[in-house]
Amino acid sequence: MNDSTPTATTAAEPEAAAPAPVDRSVAILVWVSQRGVFLFTATLIVFASVFVNGFASFVNLTDVFYRAAPIGIVAVGMTFVVISGNYLDLSVVAQVATSAVILIAVSNEYGIFPAVLAALLVAAVYGLVNGIAVGYFKANAVIVTLSTTYIGLGILRWLSGGSIFFGPEDGPIRALGQVEVLGLPLSAVVLVVMALLLAFMLDRTNFGFTIRAFGSNNEATRLAGVNTSRVVVGAFLLTSVAAMVAGFVLAAFSNTAVSTMADGFDFGALAAIIIGGTSVFGGRGSILRTLLGVIFVSVLTNVLVLSGVGFGWQQMAIGLLIVVAVSLDTIARKVATS
Amino acid sequence: MTANQATHDEARSVLISAEGITKRFGGATAVDDVSVTVRAGEIYGIVGENGAGKSTLMRILSGILSPSEGRVLVEGTPLGVGSRAASEAGIALVHQELSLVPEMTTAENIALGAFPTRSGFIDRAELRRTAAAALEEIGVSVDLDERVARLSVALRQFVEIARAVASKPRVLILDEPTATLTPAETQYLLDMLQRLARRGMAVVYISHRIPEIFGICDRVTVLRDGRHIETVLIGETDPQRLVDSMVGRELREDLQVHRQSAPGDVVLNATGIRAPRVNGIDLQVRAGQIVGLGGLVGAGRTELVRAIIGADPRSAGTVTIATDDGLRNVSSYQAAVRHGIAYVPEERRADGLALTMSVSDNIALPNRKALSRFGVQNRAATAEMARRLADTVGLRPPNVRRDAGEYSGGNQQKVVIAKWLGRRPRLIVLDEPTRGVDVGAKAEIHRLVRELADEGAAVLVVSSDLPELLDLSDVVHVVRDGRVAGTLSGPEADERTVMSLAAGGQEVAS
Amino acid sequence: MTEPQTLSLGDTAATDRAGRLRAVLSRRTEGRAVVLLAVVFVMALALEPLVFTAYEVTLGRVALIGLVALGLTAVILMGELDLSVASTLAVSGVVMASVPNIYAGIAAALVVGLLIGAVNAFFVVKIGINSFIATLGMLFVLRGLAFVLSGEQPVRLTNIEAGIAFGRPLVGPVSPRILLFVLVFIALQVFVTRMRVGREFYAVGGNRQAARDAGIPVDRRVFTGFMISGFVASLAGVINTLELTAADPTAGGTVLLASFAAAIIGGVALKGGRGSIVGTLLGALSLGTIEVGLTLSGVQVDIQQVFIGGVLLIAVITDPASLREATANFRLFRRREPEVQS
Repeated sequence: MNDSTPTATTAAEPEAAAPAPVDRSVAILVWVSQRGVFLFTATLIVFASVFVNGFASFVNLTDVFYRAAPIGIVAVGMTFVVISGNYLDLSVVAQVATSAVILIAVSNEYGIFPAVLAALLVAAVYGLVNGIAVGYFKANAVIVTLSTTYIGLGILRWLSGGSIFFGPEDGPIRALGQVEVLGLPLSAVVLVVMALLLAFMLDRTNFGFTIRAFGSNNEATRLAGVNTSRVVVGAFLLTSVAAMVAGFVLAAFSNTAVSTMADGFDFGALAAIIIGGTSVFGGRGSILRTLLGVIFVSVLTNVLVLSGVGFGWQQMAIGLLIVVAVSLDTIARKVATS
Repeated sequence: MTANQATHDEARSVLISAEGITKRFGGATAVDDVSVTVRAGEIYGIVGENGAGKSTLMRILSGILSPSEGRVLVEGTPLGVGSRAASEAGIALVHQELSLVPEMTTAENIALGAFPTRSGFIDRAELRRTAAAALEEIGVSVDLDERVARLSVALRQFVEIARAVASKPRVLILDEPTATLTPAETQYLLDMLQRLARRGMAVVYISHRIPEIFGICDRVTVLRDGRHIETVLIGETDPQRLVDSMVGRELREDLQVHRQSAPGDVVLNATGIRAPRVNGIDLQVRAGQIVGLGGLVGAGRTELVRAIIGADPRSAGTVTIATDDGLRNVSSYQAAVRHGIAYVPEERRADGLALTMSVSDNIALPNRKALSRFGVQNRAATAEMARRLADTVGLRPPNVRRDAGEYSGGNQQKVVIAKWLGRRPRLIVLDEPTRGVDVGAKAEIHRLVRELADEGAAVLVVSSDLPELLDLSDVVHVVRDGRVAGTLSGPEADERTVMSLAAGGQEVAS
Repeated sequence: MTEPQTLSLGDTAATDRAGRLRAVLSRRTEGRAVVLLAVVFVMALALEPLVFTAYEVTLGRVALIGLVALGLTAVILMGELDLSVASTLAVSGVVMASVPNIYAGIAAALVVGLLIGAVNAFFVVKIGINSFIATLGMLFVLRGLAFVLSGEQPVRLTNIEAGIAFGRPLVGPVSPRILLFVLVFIALQVFVTRMRVGREFYAVGGNRQAARDAGIPVDRRVFTGFMISGFVASLAGVINTLELTAADPTAGGTVLLASFAAAIIGGVALKGGRGSIVGTLLGALSLGTIEVGLTLSGVQVDIQQVFIGGVLLIAVITDPASLREATANFRLFRRREPEVQS
């Protein structure tokens, strides 16, 4: 600590030590990992419009929106957890499905307001359990949320008996699901509104500020007087709220709810966030990036489906993209600190 | 070379010869053209202040680092790079205890990396024999099957030494081995080293502790600012002369505590502080007063201040701070910050700044409540405060939107200080505030600190830079082994006295 | 200077038998697993003694969970994590079922497991990605691969008789599944306690830098660990496929949960360097008994998952390191301190 090792800090450091690209190819790698998504998304959309049959049709594009919205809502919410350096929240799979089931099942019996209340309560429980385990007990987020996923899914399946719930044909939920604002389905609007709200939270509020700071440097943030445990709880609570909203949207869109509805949402949300360029190590990222990531992943999936590529290949493709994106990010970081 | 030295040297064969060693890190030179020889059967001391280059030299001698210039010869052959090459050359380095695997047993730690095997299976009997032999060689008895994590700090240090000795080295290098030992344990270690030397091993002993150097060393080299100052036989010098050599400034009497101020009421009152490496310390800081903490590496100063402000847990002691609302307990770090304590940590890059965020963001972080309304950040106010504070501390270039990581060390340190200025702290604690900082920024930081005190803040400074410590402080507490060895102020506080107290001269009644 | 006596520096070697026993016991890490096992056994005795009479079923489940958990333990000891074991299990099962010759199929499946382990290690060691994320990514990729290879539906074994034969008990109640598990347990126990390479896993996990400084080839050890985990997971996939006579590309999810719980309750510390194979065995015994006990009591699969998930959550929170953190962090709840009378 004190005298023993003269690392670079004991020497007077150079002015403006911005990392000079040692290697041309490495510099390109860094650029790709940080800004590539914009270019790739645009390229993909153009490519698809031209070469993929059926892509550029109104029907298809609206379908993409419908599918993208729920995962997108989860992704923008989960971005907070990722930026805080806590990797991800696997339990969104359980949370989204639970919220959807609660909305339809409870509103069928008691009306919408009690349903929303119940869903909020559940979201609070998830957020607190995950948040306290990770923020106060400093347990590993991946394992904690793995366990809460199974606990949540187990409870959900038991209570729902695995059956599918239907909202009444003329009910308010069905009506909401049909709403269109300026020609766009409500779900897309909700996604945009949430993205704007969350972007505001992340960039302009103290809460978002502390999350970004915590992700950038845990210890420095703690030493600046921030209650970092509470910050982590906040990030998970936010994810839970987003998951709840996503569940509502999902239920409204199809007017049904079943416990398996949200399978794959953990994967999809993470893919969108990582491919969008948010670093899985925390500190760097934005809601806009996540949105772009959502668009990219949805369009890519759509293109693959239209091209007749099987589900398995889709999963592999996106999984590989995640791995590649994280690799690039890791390498870029190593270069920056060397 | 004196006649004594010539006779002394003839009797001992040269094992290591380091010629013209220079080591640079980036722009700075840690070791500058130093040549030393290590002889068999001799206990060779290397002394110097913090930052004199002792540890760097040691790492070069043990092959961990390669020199920028010069070479290291082991009995005529150049030394290869890496710990493997060094152990093959018969050089063993005793690390601090951090080099043990906590959950493995004593025996396993001693033999780490060299488990005796029979066709892939660990030969347990042989392992125990090797470990037991090493322990016996150094004359310490430790339960071979106990997990090292459960041993006392002293025993762990001895296990560390046993591991070094197990490889049957011809040269044993130790860096500050007694930092964590009690006097009895220290004496035991010194006796052990003498036994080893008598059997022909060369021992290189790096330390600032004068009594120990005079206790066992045959020959001593003084380093200062990376340069070789002198090499003498121990009989040709005395403790005071050695200290003078280490410190090296002729007119030492005028570099004394000269800040004169009229301190106000007590702001910080810490009593009975106990924590790892802190063994019962009381401390008070008054408004407008700058209290300096001097001492050697491992004396416990950083641990002390962190325990006081709650950044690390303390096992005993109470801390109170005087606030506008009366006296308050400082029971946690959050409470400390809330009651007006500001902390500038030792490691600014790891603990003081979010390097990937802008200067403005870093400054805003502790001030966020004041810079926001209902939780929403006030961009204009933030920008204004950031600019103002960056200007106050003299950030150059004053671009608060740049990432903090892109600034030089001096500027980074200014940012760390700037962020607290917005809160008008009652107590500001600085740990090594100008380490790795260029001369210009250093002067500016000193100016800032003095201004803060003049405006009524209580200041606590930890520094290993003696001139800085004396220049800034009203009063200096010299810490040694987790206790205050002496308190100095006024003309009696000069570098010599501080150094003597820190290194183990007589206790001075405070 | 006289030769000094051996200094007593708080020498820790106990001399009496009771003291020695206490010392040995206090070093063990299986405490929680033993407690849990005791609790589980007592409850089983009271509520569902069928668990013991139908012990082949119980042991069978223990074997499957334990197998995967043992592989995980090898990786966690080094301070890494392998989340891809679930899909490794599925992929190897599918590979095996897709090859007509049963022996070639088994061999292929095991090779696949080794390969997956190597790929995981590559990302962790060579590229430097945190193993949580690297293996999570691989989990997703491999899930996709399992679907691709199987055509999205279960693949039947060509040689169904082999599968049926495999399911039949060999010696008394001991089926091949249990036998394999016992073999793997013995192999890993010996590896990690008596073989140099295995013992060095603890060093890699306990203090990686010290291990490197001592000359241990850390990267090679990490590769070995991941390959063990991959191999064992693929072995579990082979067993699963043989017994079901078909390979399910979605297999592995619940086993993942239970095996993590088994390893962590067994005392393996996530940061590495601490834990034992025996602990994992005890953990697997507990979890297998819980699962079978619940099944026999008629508790639905869903509630079982709630239980297992709960065990994992509690296990990971009651990790000694986590508990220490918690007590420190919870103190922050106190907001206003009273004024001090001076």
